[in-house]
Amino acid sequence: MSISVTKLSSNGVLRGGVSFRNLSVVFPGHVNHPPVQALDHVSLEVRPREFVSLIGPSGCGKSTMLRVISDLITPTGGIALVDGEPPRKARLARDIGFVFQDAALLEWRSILDNVLLPLEIAGVPARERESRSRELIELVGLNGFEAARPRQLSGGMRQRASIARALSTRPRVLLMDEPFGAVDQITRDRLNMELVQITEKTNATVLFVTHSISEAVLLSDRVVVMSPRPGRILSVIDINLPRPRSLATRDDPHYTELIKFGAAELERGFARNEH
Amino acid sequence: MSTSLAEGSTPVADAEHGWIRYWPMLWPPIIATIIITTVWESITVYFDIPPYFIPSPSRIFEAFWAAPGTLLWHSGITLLEAIIGCIIGSFLGALLGTGFAYSSLLARGLLPFVIAANTIPVVAIAPIIILWFGHGIESKIAVTTFLCFFPLALNMMKGLQSYDRVIMDVFHVAAASPLQRFFKMRLPSALPYIFVGIKINVSFSIIGAIVAEFVQADRGLGFVIMTTYRNLNMPRLWAALAISALIGMVFFALVSLVERMVIPWHSSMRTES
Repeated sequence: MSISVTKLSSNGVLRGGVSFRNLSVVFPGHVNHPPVQALDHVSLEVRPREFVSLIGPSGCGKSTMLRVISDLITPTGGIALVDGEPPRKARLARDIGFVFQDAALLEWRSILDNVLLPLEIAGVPARERESRSRELIELVGLNGFEAARPRQLSGGMRQRASIARALSTRPRVLLMDEPFGAVDQITRDRLNMELVQITEKTNATVLFVTHSISEAVLLSDRVVVMSPRPGRILSVIDINLPRPRSLATRDDPHYTELIKFGAAELERGFARNEH
Repeated sequence: MSTSLAEGSTPVADAEHGWIRYWPMLWPPIIATIIITTVWESITVYFDIPPYFIPSPSRIFEAFWAAPGTLLWHSGITLLEAIIGCIIGSFLGALLGTGFAYSSLLARGLLPFVIAANTIPVVAIAPIIILWFGHGIESKIAVTTFLCFFPLALNMMKGLQSYDRVIMDVFHVAAASPLQRFFKMRLPSALPYIFVGIKINVSFSIIGAIVAEFVQADRGLGFVIMTTYRNLNMPRLWAALAISALIGMVFFALVSLVERMVIPWHSSMRTES
């Protein structure tokens, strides 16, 4: 499979580094609605090919960080960079892949045509985009469903298609905003294990937003715990579990320890939220 | 593989083909037609209702059969006016609706006029349009165009605004151009609304053409209705009415058929058991 392509810049340095420096985002208020400080001077350096999870209660700004990196939101203060360049440049270079909580597939297109949509938009020749998409469909385990319509698939399968679509342009950075938030637990566990394999093959830096501490620990190199109002980073936990991760990782006593520790950190965030 | 995750079956073409498939949809209206005509016929005969008051179905058919060619020729004229007006009006309406969807300034400025114009009775506006466009077929097309303008303007605007916000984000991240957003996302999302507008226009266009002919014409179903009324040739008038209704039905069925082919993915196209 030709998916395993490591993106190197011209001087041979690994690409896909993401920086947040003193990042602030304030959503303007309306009548009877005060302005919301979604992010308050947040700084974080993500290394190329690193898998970082952002976790925290609602309103802690974790999704906002992804939206800044994908150029969906312009920060009100500080800067965000992808390999030292503004997010807009990375977006226009099709170096950002985004998996939303909602699979957001075009219901009038087949799964294959949904997966190849970003390549079609980028003007990649038909034959090339199709073969690339077929590879990705195989990677996410949807072979046999190329011609199916999104409506005919389960929620988990639609999300697989959405992941394949996000990977189609070989992005340096893959952003995932609670991608498995709407699927059942059994499917979620399986998708987590598959995501481990997918991200190892694609070499993209991953920023992963989740509500589940066990999911975050299982997948990540680092887990960033955040607290809300205003959105801040509470702590960054190094997940020094051996790679590649597998089902056996869950039997590792250290895995349980990390989850306990993370849950306690998360609780601190909630406690701060209370008063 | 993860086939276990699939809810439904894999996409396989429907095994059933041909007329048999449509039979469950066809038989109720056929039976209803037979019952209604029979009851109608019996009542007119039994109560000896004069044909100028309510002609029986057989009388209406006789009136049609007396000169089928002439009636069909007049129907053809009306149908031509209706179709051309429907196409031009729908197209212009869709164009303005697109403008409304993209410019809230334009919508705020012109939408009140569009809604106001929409409430003008066609019988009031038809004489003015005929004054402008003359006595030929053009003025009837113009009246039909006028009527067919609003449904598409409003539905196009609504349809183009009905896209999924997350999908819009997908297109943004993929660095899609405004044209790509329009053709690959907003227009396909608007198609169900566009068909709602076109279906309204099917009825509107026939009404528009007949009303325009009513005001002034020497041909068309409206002209036939007018002259037969003056001569109190009521069965022939009823025959003209029946034809106009039939034309509307066939026209509507054709649009529905096209709709099924163009947007089979839409939820409204799922057949209910």
